[in-house]
Amino acid sequence: MNYLMHILVLINIYSLLAMSLNLVVGFSGLMSLSHAAFYGIGAYTTSLLMTSAGWGFFPAIFAAVALTSFLSLVAAVPSLRFHGDYFVLAALGFQIIVFAVLNNWVKLTGGPYGIPGIPRPRVFGMEVTTNSQFFVFSCVIVALCGFILWMLINSPFGRVLKAIRDDEVAAASLGKNLFALKLAAFIIAAALASISGGLIATYIRFIDPTGFGLNESIFILAIVIIGGAGSFWGPLIGAILLILLPEALRFVTIPDAVAANLRQIFYGVALIILMRFRPQGLRGEYRFE
Amino acid sequence: VLPQLLANGLVNGCLFALVAIGFALIYNTTRIFHVAFGATYAVAGYFCYFFLIQLQWGTPLSVVVTVVLTATIGILTERFMYAPLERRNASPLVALLSSLGLNIVIINLLALFFGNETKVLRPAADVTYRWQGVVLTSTQLAQIITALILLPTLLLVLRFSRVGKMIRAVRDNPTLAQIMGANLWFVRAVVFASGSALAGVGAALSALDVGIDLNVGMSALLIAAVALIIGGVGTFEGPVIGAFLLGVLQSLVVWVVSARWVDAVTFSLLIFFLIFRPEGLIGKRRRVEEVLS
Repeated sequence: MNYLMHILVLINIYSLLAMSLNLVVGFSGLMSLSHAAFYGIGAYTTSLLMTSAGWGFFPAIFAAVALTSFLSLVAAVPSLRFHGDYFVLAALGFQIIVFAVLNNWVKLTGGPYGIPGIPRPRVFGMEVTTNSQFFVFSCVIVALCGFILWMLINSPFGRVLKAIRDDEVAAASLGKNLFALKLAAFIIAAALASISGGLIATYIRFIDPTGFGLNESIFILAIVIIGGAGSFWGPLIGAILLILLPEALRFVTIPDAVAANLRQIFYGVALIILMRFRPQGLRGEYRFE
Repeated sequence: VLPQLLANGLVNGCLFALVAIGFALIYNTTRIFHVAFGATYAVAGYFCYFFLIQLQWGTPLSVVVTVVLTATIGILTERFMYAPLERRNASPLVALLSSLGLNIVIINLLALFFGNETKVLRPAADVTYRWQGVVLTSTQLAQIITALILLPTLLLVLRFSRVGKMIRAVRDNPTLAQIMGANLWFVRAVVFASGSALAGVGAALSALDVGIDLNVGMSALLIAAVALIIGGVGTFEGPVIGAFLLGVLQSLVVWVVSARWVDAVTFSLLIFFLIFRPEGLIGKRRRVEEVLS
């Protein structure tokens, strides 16, 4: 039961990451490889405020969202002048710089040793202790964020984003401010990723930089692409699939180290096959064209 | 200390330049952001290790076989992954994501076969030469000599030979080049073979010097891409200049700050260029949309 709840909590956290990245990848058509950076900034801000400053979970999350939004603005302003390969590289650059800071600014972040002993969140004075309680807690938060995303993508804002994605020039000629709209999407996505960061930090109660590196960014992107970019449910399907699969490997007697490689080979192969035959993913509508 | 630092930087620049011009051959000509170029580089390092240490083939034979095999990988990647995408007119992003998938697959296969730990190809300390207070190892000398032979040859071939002109014609306008009789698929095979082979040369020379692990591919790819952008996309001299710039800068960073900040500084330089000089050092100034389309 505890194990099942653990899987469900992870699915929740990665669903939120994938759904938020989908706003950038699937709706704005920008291939961002920097989502783990924002996830990490959220996790570190929440953890540091809760451990060193003794803040509660909710104030810490709000601070994390604020800081991440600001830093995503800093990252977005130079990157959003570009699309295609240049945007990929600029966002990737931000990811690598953030990882270097998390890994090397030892005084603040603990460097490679990470931050241990992060407290669990308290809701109305009650600590969220067991995995089942955390599952319910994360469900509420992820559902809330999912609802916000649902409203956004079905609002005029979401439709304009899609219009920009499909034809920038046409959207611009209709008087849409491309830069401001893409910027808004990028910042909202980063802010929601930082909430995921707060969840993983208080759930695992320990963070280190390796959880927020380039490979994690690639993994989150793979969830979105395999599930289907540009649809609301695609990233959820992707998250369920890519989190459950390695757990399934666990029951076949494959050593853990090999299973980790096999999982990655699986989603690498899935990417290649999907791009060849079905670039919109399992349930997406955006074909990156 | 400074002359030694500059020397190390230039030697690294030689290696970076070989890899960067390999990446540029592929990117300039096909506009495919070949992420799996990084995996090709890593494969080359492990092949070299396998032939040299496990099969005991000796250095020259190991390097030559490695380079031939990486060129083959390049051709196969083009033939079976990119060519079908190009035939159905898929966008560059589709090719990029597919390439990312291939990169993940290859790196994890390497992890399964060779394990995660660093492989060392040179058991004993290298022979060193001292000149004017600068110390160079024999592997470093080999790197310099290889670069001094290959880089000018490549640039001359690209400028004056028939195949070089075909490559540049496809770079400038694939459709028009085909109308004028250039065989697109032949040119693509040539750039993928030669670009991958150059990754192989760089990887083998670097593996002989500092060994090989699973992360070298990604860092080689990133260095090549950054060198191309700061040098000037669309040119073949640009990435060489960019690579030497990065080599020297990185060795200065190691000395002044610490090796741990090298990646962060490299990418700060990239972002600086993207903001202030997106066309690169010697690229032509064009409208951003034109560069990207």
